[in-house]
This record gives sequence, C-alpha cells and structure tokens, in this order.
Amino acid sequence: MKVLTRLRGALAATLGYLWSGWGAVTSVLMFCALWEYGARIHGDLVLPGPVATLRRLAEMFDSGLAVPELAISARRTLYGLGLALAAGSTLGLLAGRSLTTAMVSRPLVTLLLGMPPIAWLVLAMLWFGMGDATPVFTVLVACFPIVFAGAMQGARTLDNRLRNVARAYRLPWHMLLTDLYLPHVASYLFPSWITALGTSWKVVVMAELLTTADGVGAALAVSRSQLDTATSLGWIVAVLGLLLGVEYLLLEPLKRRVERWRSGPAA
Amino acid sequence: MFMCGFRPFFVLAAGGAVLFMALWLLALGGRLPAWQPPGGIVLWHAHELVFGFAAAAVAGFTLTAIPEFTRTAPIPPRPLARLALLWLAARLAYALAGWWPAPLGMWPAALGSLALWALLLARIAPPVWRDPERAHLGFAWTMGALALLQAGFFAALAREGDALAWLHAAIGVLAMLIVIATSRVSMSVVNGYMEAGRPGAPAARAVYLARPPRRHLAIFAIGMCTAVEFALGDDVVTGWTALAAATAMLNLLNDWHVGRPLFTRWALMLYASYWLIALGYGLLGAAWLGAPLAPSAGRHLLAAGAVALSIFAIMAMVGRIHAGLWLDRRPWLPAAAAALAAAALLRAWAGTWAAASSAPLLLTASGLLWAGAFAAYLWHAWPVLTGPRQDGRDGCAEPPEGGGPHAGERPC
Repeated sequence: MKVLTRLRGALAATLGYLWSGWGAVTSVLMFCALWEYGARIHGDLVLPGPVATLRRLAEMFDSGLAVPELAISARRTLYGLGLALAAGSTLGLLAGRSLTTAMVSRPLVTLLLGMPPIAWLVLAMLWFGMGDATPVFTVLVACFPIVFAGAMQGARTLDNRLRNVARAYRLPWHMLLTDLYLPHVASYLFPSWITALGTSWKVVVMAELLTTADGVGAALAVSRSQLDTATSLGWIVAVLGLLLGVEYLLLEPLKRRVERWRSGPAA
Repeated sequence: MFMCGFRPFFVLAAGGAVLFMALWLLALGGRLPAWQPPGGIVLWHAHELVFGFAAAAVAGFTLTAIPEFTRTAPIPPRPLARLALLWLAARLAYALAGWWPAPLGMWPAALGSLALWALLLARIAPPVWRDPERAHLGFAWTMGALALLQAGFFAALAREGDALAWLHAAIGVLAMLIVIATSRVSMSVVNGYMEAGRPGAPAARAVYLARPPRRHLAIFAIGMCTAVEFALGDDVVTGWTALAAATAMLNLLNDWHVGRPLFTRWALMLYASYWLIALGYGLLGAAWLGAPLAPSAGRHLLAAGAVALSIFAIMAMVGRIHAGLWLDRRPWLPAAAAALAAAALLRAWAGTWAAASSAPLLLTASGLLWAGAFAAYLWHAWPVLTGPRQDGRDGCAEPPEGGGPHAGERPC
C-alpha cells in the first residue's frame, strides 16, 4: 500500500514535471515562427525555414543517413565526456580536500579554461592524427577543467561543523558518505556536468568538422561544401534536439532530485 | 429583470444563441432563399455569434463583475434597458439590412453596435481606471479591441474588403478575454469560496492559485497569433504562432492540476474551455502547417467550443449567485456542457478532409446540439433571470450568508 502511494506520487511528480515543459515548448515554437519569417525574407538557399528543415531531417532519418553518423558522434562524445567526468570529479574532489593542492591547481584550471578548444584541436591533430582519438581527446581536455573546478569547489565548501557533529555521533562511514558528503558535493558537481555535456557536443562537432571522415561534423562539412543549407540545418537541429532531450529528460530531473535537500526542510 | 446587468444580457445571449444557430442551420440547408443579409450568410453567422451572442455575454458579465471587483455602484435599470434595446436593434438591423433601401444598408447595424460598445466602455472603463491597483484594466482593453475590430469589420464590409479577417481577430481577442475573466473567477470556483456560505458546502481550501506568469505568456501568445494572422493570413508563420498559443495554454493548465478540487462540474467546465482553446489553436496551427484539414475546424473549437463553453459556465454561475441563489446542482447542467463540447468536436471533425463527405450532416448535428445546450439554459434560467429574487432583496447581491468570514470579499 505504501509502495503504491509512493509510486503514485512519483508518477504524479513525473507527469507534473513533463507538463511544465509546455512553457519551454512555447518559446521554441515562437522562435520557429521567427525563423520561418526570416526564411521567407532570405530565401531557401540562405536560410531554409523550420518546416523545410524538419522535412529534410525526416528524410535523413528515413534514408538511414542520420542514425549512424549521430551514433558515431554520440560515441565520441560519451567517451570524451565520460573520461572528463571521471577524471575531473575524482581529481577535483581530491584537490579540494587540501588547501595546498587547491591553491596550486586553481591557476592551472584558469589556464585550461582559458585555452580555446580549437587550439587543443590543432595539438590533437598533430599528436593523434585523423582518427577517433582526436575528437575524444579534445572533448576530454575541453570538459575536464569545468568538472574539476566544480568538484574542487564542492569539496572546499564542505561544512566542517557538520563533519564534526557526524564524528561526535560516530556516524558509520557509509552514512557519512551518503548523507553528508555526497548530497553536498553533488549539488556542485551536477551543474558542472551539465555545462560539460553542452560543451562536449559542441566540441565534438567542431573536431569532426575539421578532422574526421565520419560523424555529424564531417557530414556538416560535406553539406556545407555542397551548399546544402537545409541538410546543414537538419544536422544542427538533430544535435540540438539530442542535447535538449538528454538535458531535460535525464539530467534536469536528476539534478532536481539531488538538490531537493536545499529547498525542502527535511527532504 | 433589469435589476442587475447580467439579467437581460444573459437572456439575450442564450436566446440569441438559439435563434442565430437555428437561422444559420435553415439558411445553410437552403430553406431561407429570400433572406440575404449584406456580405452573405457566412459573414452574418460569424458576426452575430461573435458580436451578438458573445458580446451580449461579455456585456452581462462585465456589467455585473466590474462594479463588484471595483466596489462601485452597479448600473441602474433604465440605462441597462437602453443597452439591451440597443443590442436588439443592432441585431435586427443586420438581419433585415438586405431588405431595406441600399443607401441605408449596414449603417444602422454598424452605428447601433458601435454605440453599444461606446456606452458599455463608458460604464466599465472609468471604474477600472480609478481602481487603485488597476488590476482589471484587461477587461477595458479587450473590450476596446473588440469595438475597434467590429468597426473594422463594418468598414471592410462597406469597402468589400476581407471582413472575415476582422472576425477571426475578434475570436482571438475573445480567447484572451476568456483567460482574463476565468482567472478572476477560477480561484473562487476551484477552491470552493464561491459557495462557502451555503449551508452544508464543503470547506473552502486554498489549493489553487491563478498565478500571473503563465497567464501572461498565454495571453501574449494568443495575441501574437491573432496579430500575425491578421497581418499574414493563412500562412506557415501563423501556423507556428498558433502552435505556440496552443502550448502556452497547455502550460497554463499546470496551475490547474491540483487533484481532487478540480473534479467539480464548475471547475471542470472552465478547465475544459482552456483545453478547447489549446486544441483549437493546435488544429489551427496544424492546418496552417499543412495538415489535411481546414483552419475553420480549429476556429470552431475556439469559438463554438471554448468561447461558448466558458460563457455557458459563467452564465450558469454568475446567473445564479448574483440572483441570490446557490448554484444549480441538477443534471441538465453537465449534460448541456457536454453537449457544447461535443458540438464543438463534431464541428471540428467536419472541417477535416477525411470527413468532407459527411460534413453537412455533421454541421447540422453539431448546430442542433449547440443550440440545444443554450435552449436548456434558457429554459432553466428564465425564471431566475427574469423573475424577482426569492430572498426579496434587490440588485446583484449574493445569497444571504449561512456562515463564513469573507462575506464581501469573494469575487463573484
């Protein structure tokens, strides 16, 4: 019975969350109207409208052109992003544990964050050639400092008084981890992960455009050279759609769950 | 009958709804070959249902609600009777305009209609402007917009321009007015304040809040769609704005999803009319983006569905509470509301290419259901709207309190 009530609550919350997305859909549709009007003024060669773009995208999916390329890009993104998240989170947390390491690593993070991804790309092309490794490495170095900075900040701002209380009450280590450290650190890590996700897609497409023969970026390079604006926009919409989907259907709900303790009194 | 603003106008709105629809169905079936109002019967049908039926309901609602919202004196019986007569004269003038000398033409109908708006606005605008918070200016703006659109309609008719575009814009403004008016009424309906004084009524609970942000987005989106349609007509760009209006209305429903308190006939009628606005704009957008249906399908979900259902709901509530009676709990009321919604859906179905062959039958069925709902209202509400108050009091006061602390503060 209790499980049933909880299940119903979860279902209602999920529906409520999904329903609240209509506001976002409204603003996207208004943008589509503006886009369509811009297309009317500039013509199909310069700027195909949303209807033409979506039609082209549907053709790309129907002909089996889109899915493999998207899968290749997604694979590269996931590899690079996964490595960046793992390395950035671990090293960032470790760095945040000690004031000295934090002091030493802060200027390095600033340096890494300031380095334009295109510069890394050039280096990666020299080091790794034209294979998979180049985009993966570029994503890794572009996302690493973002995650590292977030993790370090999370570890630095842990409330020492709370830790002392936990110690005084002899909290077992697993409770210390799940009830004290993780909720606090996660509320810093998550936003940085989401930023890293957005960055990773952008960087992958850019890297593919310049280096590889397959993937969305390479397909964009082809459609550009053929002056096929509709196909180019189709690829862009596909990438943005994936990004929006992952962020709002996966990461944002997770983030809300993780950050619930901040707003609720005892949730 | 003239002791409160809603009384004559709700009678005229309901009576007009039945009569206009009956005439329209007869004319559509070719039974009235001699009757040719200027501009053709389609224009007459659209104009009379927007600026006859809906305008009468708007007049009745605002003449009752604005004095209450702003705590000013209600309209006295004599000016009220003059307004009602002006409405009648304007309706007759349009219907008969085909039969009198050509130079006279539409002038009487146009002048009568515009004079009605002028007098109404002269009643409504000063109190909402003088109100310290000016929270109800939206009523004055939308009514002013309706007046301008009607003037545009007559001008276009006289110069043989596209008169229907003005009526389409007026339906958009009516949709905005529904959102504005419903937001004023909905909190007392959903939370149960409306009948808090009725002995045995469930306790009022503040579970629903008509928050402004989503409402403003919805009004903005509808306004944008209306303006873009007016400028570009049937166009893909208009289609996107219509879809945006649809999703903005669905977004507005977020505020309404409060669980059990929503499941009363009163709250559900208002909720359903929001859904009909959303579906109407959704179908309009689909039609403009190339789906196999006519824009008129979505337009009728808006006008014959959302506008009519919300008018019906408001008439059923305001027409009782401000006549000193508690709400009508008899089963005819949800049945009539369901008939209105069904009529709108049938009419929308008739506008799809798939149903083109059976369209005449669907139109007739839809029209009969629709007129039947308002005939039922007129039948049940006639004694209340035209007779004296049972509590022996005068004016628009609510029923005598049976308890409850906020006697004077409940809007509607």
